[in-house]
Amino acid sequence: MKIFAAIDVGSYEVGMKIFQLSKKYGLKELDYIRHRVDLGSDSYRTGRISYDHMEELCSVLNGFNDIMSSYGVDDYRACGTSAIREAESTDIVLDQIRLRTGLDVRALSNSEQRFLDYKSVALQDVEKFENIIKDGTLFIDIGGGSTQVSLFQEGSLITTVNLPLGILRIRSQLSELEPRRSQYSELLSEIIDNELYSFKKLYLNNSDIKNMVVVDDYLPYVKQRLTDNGVLSSEMVTTRQYLDFCERIKQQSVEEVAKAVGIPQENANLLRPSAALIRNFINITGAQMLWITGATLSDGIAYDYAERTHIIKSAHDFDSDIIASAENIAARYRITDAREEALLQVSMVVFDSMKKFHGLSKRDRLLLELAARLRDVGRFVSLSVPAESSYSIIMGTEIIGLSHMERAMVASAAINSFSRDVYYRDFENEEFDKITSLRVVKITAILRLAAALAQNPGKRFKKVTASIRDNELDLTIGSKAGIVLESGDFAQYSQFFEEVYGIRPVIRHREVSAV
Amino acid sequence: MAKAKKTDNRPIDFSAPEYYTNRELSWLKFDERVLGEARDKNIPLFERLKFLSITASNLDEFFMVRVASLKDMENAGYVKPDIAGLNPRAQLEALSPATHDLIDLQYATYNRPLLPLLKENGLTVVESHEDLSPDQAEFVDRYFQDTVYPVLTPMAVDSSRPFPLLRNKSLNIAALITEKSKDGTVSGRLLKKKKTKKAARLPLEFAMVQVPGVLPRIVRIPSENGGVSVILLEEIIERNIDKLFLNYEVICAHPFRVMRNADLTIDEEEAEDLLKEIEKQLKRRQWGQVIRLDVEAGMDKRLLNMLKEQVSVAEEDIYYIEGPLDLTFLMKMYSMEGFDELKYKDHVPQPPKYMDMSKDIFEQIRHGDILLKHPYETFEPVVNFVRSAARDENVLAIKQTLYRVSGNSPIIAALIQAAESGKSVTVLFELKARFDEENNIIWAKELEKAGCHVIYGLVGLKTHSKITLVVRREEDGIRRYVHLGTGNYNDKTARQYTDMGLLTCSEAIGEDATAVFNMLSGYSEPVSWNKLVLAPLWLKDRFLYLIGRETEHARAGREARIIAKMNSLCDPDIIRALYEASNAGVKIELIIRGICCLKTGIPGVSDNITVRSIVGNFLEHSRIFWFLNEGNEEIYLGSADWMPRNLERRVEIVFPVEKPELIEDLKHYLSMQLKDNVKASVLQKDGTYVKPSRRGRGAFNSQEECVQEAVRNAKEKARSVNSTRIFIPERSPKE
Repeated sequence: MKIFAAIDVGSYEVGMKIFQLSKKYGLKELDYIRHRVDLGSDSYRTGRISYDHMEELCSVLNGFNDIMSSYGVDDYRACGTSAIREAESTDIVLDQIRLRTGLDVRALSNSEQRFLDYKSVALQDVEKFENIIKDGTLFIDIGGGSTQVSLFQEGSLITTVNLPLGILRIRSQLSELEPRRSQYSELLSEIIDNELYSFKKLYLNNSDIKNMVVVDDYLPYVKQRLTDNGVLSSEMVTTRQYLDFCERIKQQSVEEVAKAVGIPQENANLLRPSAALIRNFINITGAQMLWITGATLSDGIAYDYAERTHIIKSAHDFDSDIIASAENIAARYRITDAREEALLQVSMVVFDSMKKFHGLSKRDRLLLELAARLRDVGRFVSLSVPAESSYSIIMGTEIIGLSHMERAMVASAAINSFSRDVYYRDFENEEFDKITSLRVVKITAILRLAAALAQNPGKRFKKVTASIRDNELDLTIGSKAGIVLESGDFAQYSQFFEEVYGIRPVIRHREVSAV
Repeated sequence: MAKAKKTDNRPIDFSAPEYYTNRELSWLKFDERVLGEARDKNIPLFERLKFLSITASNLDEFFMVRVASLKDMENAGYVKPDIAGLNPRAQLEALSPATHDLIDLQYATYNRPLLPLLKENGLTVVESHEDLSPDQAEFVDRYFQDTVYPVLTPMAVDSSRPFPLLRNKSLNIAALITEKSKDGTVSGRLLKKKKTKKAARLPLEFAMVQVPGVLPRIVRIPSENGGVSVILLEEIIERNIDKLFLNYEVICAHPFRVMRNADLTIDEEEAEDLLKEIEKQLKRRQWGQVIRLDVEAGMDKRLLNMLKEQVSVAEEDIYYIEGPLDLTFLMKMYSMEGFDELKYKDHVPQPPKYMDMSKDIFEQIRHGDILLKHPYETFEPVVNFVRSAARDENVLAIKQTLYRVSGNSPIIAALIQAAESGKSVTVLFELKARFDEENNIIWAKELEKAGCHVIYGLVGLKTHSKITLVVRREEDGIRRYVHLGTGNYNDKTARQYTDMGLLTCSEAIGEDATAVFNMLSGYSEPVSWNKLVLAPLWLKDRFLYLIGRETEHARAGREARIIAKMNSLCDPDIIRALYEASNAGVKIELIIRGICCLKTGIPGVSDNITVRSIVGNFLEHSRIFWFLNEGNEEIYLGSADWMPRNLERRVEIVFPVEKPELIEDLKHYLSMQLKDNVKASVLQKDGTYVKPSRRGRGAFNSQEECVQEAVRNAKEKARSVNSTRIFIPERSPKE
């Protein structure tokens, strides 16, 4: 049994959950402590975190230290989100926190943060979640700086988009406009609709959205109130019930909303944008059911930790979500042809055959798969500079579940797999440390080798096998057509592989008749 | 009698002022009921002294806080009427004759039945030093010379010496003095009320001396009749007062006492350090505005005028006392040795019904919730809970709220021990607990020194809840043990106050308890609560909901009933809800020890409501709320009365008791209270309280019954423990 603390340094609130983790009972929440610290209002406006907020933050974190010791916490993870991430002085802020509280806070990238939120919901009730996403579902994760929207269909993640609709941002935009009470609701709606317009056009055409899964800090209070008042009898809220609630609070002052929902006024101020955001999503999708989950980033941090330390085994396959997401990106850029299949096939076979030699992890295998799937997306934009285009697309597209660093690794492997002349010192990226650089080099070497073989968009490989013998990678391609062209390039591309792994790849062809 | 103003078309206005009693007047009614105990011939004599003393200290507090507050309101020009329709001036006008009457009754009780009865029973109180025998006089003078004189500080007032500051509630002796003639002639010792023509013509000066609080007020003197004789310290000083003003002649000397506004006015938002601010305010309390002046009846007019002028009091605020000032000394008299037969037998709190004190407390709590009923059952399990937590190596943290603690609190000692042994100890020590501020500051500092995390209270709120949380790491994970109570963590008062406590390790309550301490530490509230209900945010609404639910049941033709026991009822919203419930047909039985602003017997408004007050040997203090709820009864215990201060300005916790066995026990307890016809008084339509008729029924004293029941339970338990003590022989493996 382990006692674990998950700390979330959020944009308007700092929270900590204490968990009891055990193989037998899984995760059990023991305590949830929160404190309002409005870091986002500094960070989003000035790019800095003010002295006063820094003081307050450190004082709260020191309080968390006391609480952690009162539970005899064995380990902790502390994560900062958009307010920390978007501060110009992130490193200085984190260093100060470390010096003044002894706590190591890591700034999460948006996709990492959202992935943990997603994890917290998916693992809260796996069966329920998987049932919900069988129908068209929007997963809406409302944050202070932005809102992440993920679209699921038939149980698969289709896409994920980050919209600049954070509740702090909306609130500050509104306060600049100084609306009268009667204008407030309309303006709020307009700000939200402006952003949702493009989203709808791009992603929701022909989508039948039945459900919405919501992650938000304040809407759970609404759900609780609906339950207390006997309006709700199940976990799910019908959108009708929700819209009725929105209608009721539409013309109410902050004080009235606070009283109606039973929350402090300062929170009611943030509840209103959240409530309006969901209302407008309902309006554009026609969704019928709402699951206000109450899950938090801290839950995600704890699930992630428990998984990594092998205390729990996830019942939901998150890697398949990531892959599905990559597949959908590839489909959007229309590169789902035989060449991509071959590239993926060879990459995976080579990776798997070299388990004992490459020293890479399961996660690296996933990154290789993503790189293989996304390598050619740039061709959709430019046939003259496909490598650079692919790099830009990968770096500019959210892939939920990947950290910023991992995304950069995938993009780097993709771009460097195009040319046989790019040497590994050219891979250097200021974001990568030496170990990461080496991982990228190794992934690229395999991808580059696979790319040499997967050149023809019309040529399918029926079977690919690989084995290591006497320092040679024996790669057999089974296909109907010959591989003369590929063999020529293969010799040139394989030098890099040989140098990286100390193993010489040898290619063989076995003719396979079409079935 | 107020009658409901209902017409066919108009609904009843349950807020109408005539349906309410002013809270201060109701408070005085309570003091009258306590005084009734002092006048009750069926009560042992010394117990009657105790009750009289209690009325005196109660009344002191009433002046220092309530009257002071009304005067503050009046001075600030506040004219808004209270729920009974009286503005501050009208309230003061109504209170003045009532308090004068009450004080007159106190002294009538003291002078007439009690003093002669004391003498009959061997305790002679020499009322005036003039009544001392020569031997006693000699003893007293020597006592003055050796013991009293060294600690006195006589003060004279003239143009060069300003009027001295008079400490709140301190007893003083004022004297009129005049300089002796230059030839040194002395007219001899002048006793009070004696004047010479010569002296009257000389310029008179005001002088005074404070009766030292460091010396016992009651001084035992040689007895003339074989019993015990005592005299009060101020009489000894009066007798010897000329020794304090050597070159003066003392024209007259009389005791007096001032009472000041003792309400602390702390701007908590502005106070950087609450502890320092309260320390500062406590010093100021000694010098607040004078709101009452007690003088000996028959005080010299000239002396009285000088005093009146100096302390600026109106005539209505002067009380001419027919006896010794400040009757709280009677509590000391109660403690005098040798009169045990004139007191109730000491009650020994019994081992609790639901636990075995010889076994590990945590293990027992794990077996099920434990209800404790103090003082019938011992408070020891509560002390033991904290003490065991302090010693237990598996305990990680202890969190507790403290409001009033005893002078040498074993709970604080245990908390200190826990902190010193490295456990995480968090204590919310309410510094603003009225009249316990100084004590609490001392303890808070001690706890801090030991390494406890001490919270001095919350800005703008008093933390009155009684909760302890123990976090323990056990084999199957973290387990939280919680104690919730209706009374303070005070092992001394737990022997005198009737209170309830619940020990539990319910996960739901444990989670809530954690959330309570998070909130008290300044963190945000949880999304929802499992079981606990907290003031000031949720409690009032919850009570209104629970009352309203009974109203709905009644309206739907279902049986509806509420029994609620508390110390005071004066929240207008709650009373209004009760009136509505009564109007709908809910049967409401209230057991309210003290203030009750609700009126009973108003047709259509409160004719389904009864109110009874129990004033007995133990101070009724528990708060119990029972709702029939169509047979799915709910019962709650808690720290809150139905008063605005509890529901709106304090942190209070009310908690449900859900174990069927304990619910039955609590219902039985309430039924005993409702059956009481000895210590109970029933509120009448006219606002008076009357003892219930015993016609056809035997006397039933609920507190006495509880004592007997606790003794029976303890004996039964001891028997069952003995009967299960069977030796089990170890068999040989072959067998």
